[in-house]
Amino acid sequence: MKKLEVDVIGVSPPCARCKKTEENARKAAVKLSSEGYKVEVTKLNITAKDTISKYGVLMSPAIAVNGTVKFMGKVLDVGVIERLLRQEI
Amino acid sequence: MEKKRLARTALLAGVALFFIIMMIRAIIGAYTLTPMSTAEDLKDLPLWQIPLAYMWDYAQHGWVCLGFAFVVSGLFSEFIPQSFVIRYLSSKKPISYLVATLLAPVFCVCSCTMVPIFTGLIYAGSGIGPALTFLLVAPANNLLADVVTIQVLGWQIALADMVAAGISAVIIGYLVAKTPWGKRFEQQFTNNRTQTGSVELIKQPIDERLWNALKFGGFLAKRIIPPFLIGLVAVSYFQAFFPSDLVRTYLTGAFGVVLAALLGGPLYTPTLIEVALGKALVDLGMSPGATVAWLMGQPYDIPNSLSTYRIVGWKIVVTYGSLAFVFAVLSGMIYGLLAGGL
Repeated sequence: MKKLEVDVIGVSPPCARCKKTEENARKAAVKLSSEGYKVEVTKLNITAKDTISKYGVLMSPAIAVNGTVKFMGKVLDVGVIERLLRQEI
Repeated sequence: MEKKRLARTALLAGVALFFIIMMIRAIIGAYTLTPMSTAEDLKDLPLWQIPLAYMWDYAQHGWVCLGFAFVVSGLFSEFIPQSFVIRYLSSKKPISYLVATLLAPVFCVCSCTMVPIFTGLIYAGSGIGPALTFLLVAPANNLLADVVTIQVLGWQIALADMVAAGISAVIIGYLVAKTPWGKRFEQQFTNNRTQTGSVELIKQPIDERLWNALKFGGFLAKRIIPPFLIGLVAVSYFQAFFPSDLVRTYLTGAFGVVLAALLGGPLYTPTLIEVALGKALVDLGMSPGATVAWLMGQPYDIPNSLSTYRIVGWKIVVTYGSLAFVFAVLSGMIYGLLAGGL
């Protein structure tokens, strides 16, 4: 089965919106994990050189799945993230 | 399911429309949205009542204006295509200055989106000029600040502030990029363009986008209103007790412009409070030219400079700080002369 690698990209120390996004992403990940999918959520610092050389200029908070940024500059509800992850499976 | 989406869309659009229509009505009816208390009204009240009276006065008039600003900020941040803005901002062509000036302030109302874009632009090698322009314009000219400035200080001063802040930010960005230390700084990041990831943004259905927009507006309100209220308390005492002789002596004329530019900068105040404090000073006798210089003092406040210092080093911070000061003074002088004498 394909593994999903979810990057939540935000500022460090986290602002309220980044924190909420990470929280929602983790909730969606837990839900999919309980159905047997492999989902790994990582928090990346948007101002770190590594992140910028990987994804370029982004608006925080952003969510990437398997190396592709899908959303940026908005806080997504758990349901929306869940739908996004299911599309990627 | 379809029907539910439609109903949600209608409801959310209705909320947004309500604030927009109320605002238009207020503008057409020339109905004032600013507090009208004067020092005389406030001075006679018991001490504890002053902030309450001032805030009540503010709330009666200000809620339409603030609600409108929050709703429209949310709509802009959601509906202006982000990848378009980012692409042009980082294009390394002169157009990036234009995009930074015109679009950045419209969708960038929150400092946690600003600093990442600034560092992103620099590390991705798009040049320090547009990045600096962006950093200077975004807080000074953001939509929220503009709407409040127009309502509180009048459109002439607001317009002067916007235009002056935009023009000076472009010139400052350009000049800093031309200095030897600016060029040396840029060179570190020119070979940084090896992306391994990609960006393919997903489109959401309209009801979800409206919901994002209102949610963002609500987030802004939650973040901005509490410090704004505290600021209003301070401003109310200030307006009631600060001797207007002092203001009339020191914040008018050419000296007043320079002093206002000096005070408006390092003194860290969120934009909205700066505007409210500016209004109190104007009521106490500050001249129009000094008001413009005061408003333009935003970009070089101390905390802001500290966070950029960590990224670009002190030489660049000092360069743009002093340039920003010079431009604040210049704009104040020019506006003062145009408005009929300093």
